[in-house]
Amino acid sequence: MIEKTTPSEMIVHIGPQHPMQPGPYRLNVKLHGETVVDLDVELGFIHKGIEKILENKTYLQGITIVDRMCYLAALSNEEVFCGCVERLAGIEPTPRSQYIRVIVEELSRIQSHLLGFGEFGHFIGYASMFMFTIKEREDVLSLLEMVTGTRITHSYIRFGGVREDLPEGFEEKCKKVFEGVRIACDEYEELLRTDTIFKERSVGVGVLTADIAKEYGVAGPSLRATGVPFDIRRNEPYLVYDDLDFNVCTQTEGDIFARVKVRLDEIRESMYIIEQALDQIPKGPLFAPDLPYGRRTPVMRVPQGEVFFRVEDPRGEMGMYMVSDGSDKPYRVKVRGPVFPTMQALPPLIKGESIADVTAIAGSMDSCTSEADR
Amino acid sequence: MDAKTIIDSISNEFSDSISNTLIESEIRVSAYVSSPDVVEVCRYLKESLGFDHLSCESVVDYIKRDEFEVVYHIASYDHPVVLTLKAILPRDNPVIDSIVDVYWNANWYERENYELYGVSYTNHPYLKVLVLPEEMLGEWPLRKDYEGFPQKTAKNLV
Repeated sequence: MIEKTTPSEMIVHIGPQHPMQPGPYRLNVKLHGETVVDLDVELGFIHKGIEKILENKTYLQGITIVDRMCYLAALSNEEVFCGCVERLAGIEPTPRSQYIRVIVEELSRIQSHLLGFGEFGHFIGYASMFMFTIKEREDVLSLLEMVTGTRITHSYIRFGGVREDLPEGFEEKCKKVFEGVRIACDEYEELLRTDTIFKERSVGVGVLTADIAKEYGVAGPSLRATGVPFDIRRNEPYLVYDDLDFNVCTQTEGDIFARVKVRLDEIRESMYIIEQALDQIPKGPLFAPDLPYGRRTPVMRVPQGEVFFRVEDPRGEMGMYMVSDGSDKPYRVKVRGPVFPTMQALPPLIKGESIADVTAIAGSMDSCTSEADR
Repeated sequence: MDAKTIIDSISNEFSDSISNTLIESEIRVSAYVSSPDVVEVCRYLKESLGFDHLSCESVVDYIKRDEFEVVYHIASYDHPVVLTLKAILPRDNPVIDSIVDVYWNANWYERENYELYGVSYTNHPYLKVLVLPEEMLGEWPLRKDYEGFPQKTAKNLV
């Protein structure tokens, strides 16, 4: 808890509702003049008890619950949950459904980065940026809606497959949308590189070095912006990422500008992955014929065991530890979200900076409080 | 560094405290550690075996065995092996040393485990509630014998 010690200090509470925040959390900032002397983060405003809820729902119901952890990364959350169950039950998804999963997850990465990028512009006072990116994001969301039927909480991935096949005309529409997103990305980049105010706000501000980022456990684009090429898709491949060609985007500066740049590069890289996947996708069934459970079996008993499985969320390393006792509900589910350690790293990162940079630094981490609280 | 080297190395170094080692696959190994030595083992893992990333720390409530298991998932930025380290605690008095000195980001995980399960960490810098409201401290909502789910939890939130 932050307390005032001398009369020249002041405490400013930022949040739980603030334009800078993607979800409710509170920053208690102790100021001396304009400099931040001390700071702490309060969580819990959106704690939903998802780990407890999952223990009380069957596996099939669990899919819709994990969706709600973070709506921007709903498909990654489903992937990590279904991946755990598949490993426990010994199910292997069919090649076609693996490719479809890669496509929808990369689409969800694109929309998440677009929103994160636009929000960040909004946080530092560049409100038009939000309007620019939300247009492209809407196009990507309509692609997702075409496949899954919903814009944000999809409930699309199933154990050993996916719910629906890709619709007619998906590939053509994808190409058309990507053309627009590519042009937009180039425009954003030009905007960033030429705008003096944006550069003043972001270059050399909130610098993380590689060693400190590793020590704090920061994950995802914020870690890759420091030059550490850590990406679960490459380090611990799941689905068909082994057969696809992609770069792990890194920058070396570790400041806000580098984080934004990494996100922009990852949007391009994700589009490249999707195009490859659409070219390579094999024909075949969505589910293996010898599946131990029917497609919509409400009660499935998963063999005893435990598993720790990690995927690459738009925000970084998403892990899940699942213990099964042989019944139709998981015995224990622990979600290791990427945002939790990132939020924890905010106090040492912001300490010593000026109050005007607090929103820029906290906003550039692209944190999703809903997932940190669970 | 492969799974077998890691297991051999920790079982030789801590022959008394490491038990039940298991190589689940090339990238997953697990071991039990006696709870007083957990800080020593973690320090050795970080300094000598390159496990520089605490991925997750959680608690599982085995009510039938009357035990808690504190589970550390320790990974590395350089090699793909994830070590699952487990420490068993009695259910009536769960106390274990904090590993914040070794892994800085264990801080919030331990606060979370404390408020949800009542596992008490010695030498923790700031063991207070993190996501729960203050008045729910002491109810340990994620324990298996918690009776307030879902009515009580919902009421407290309103």
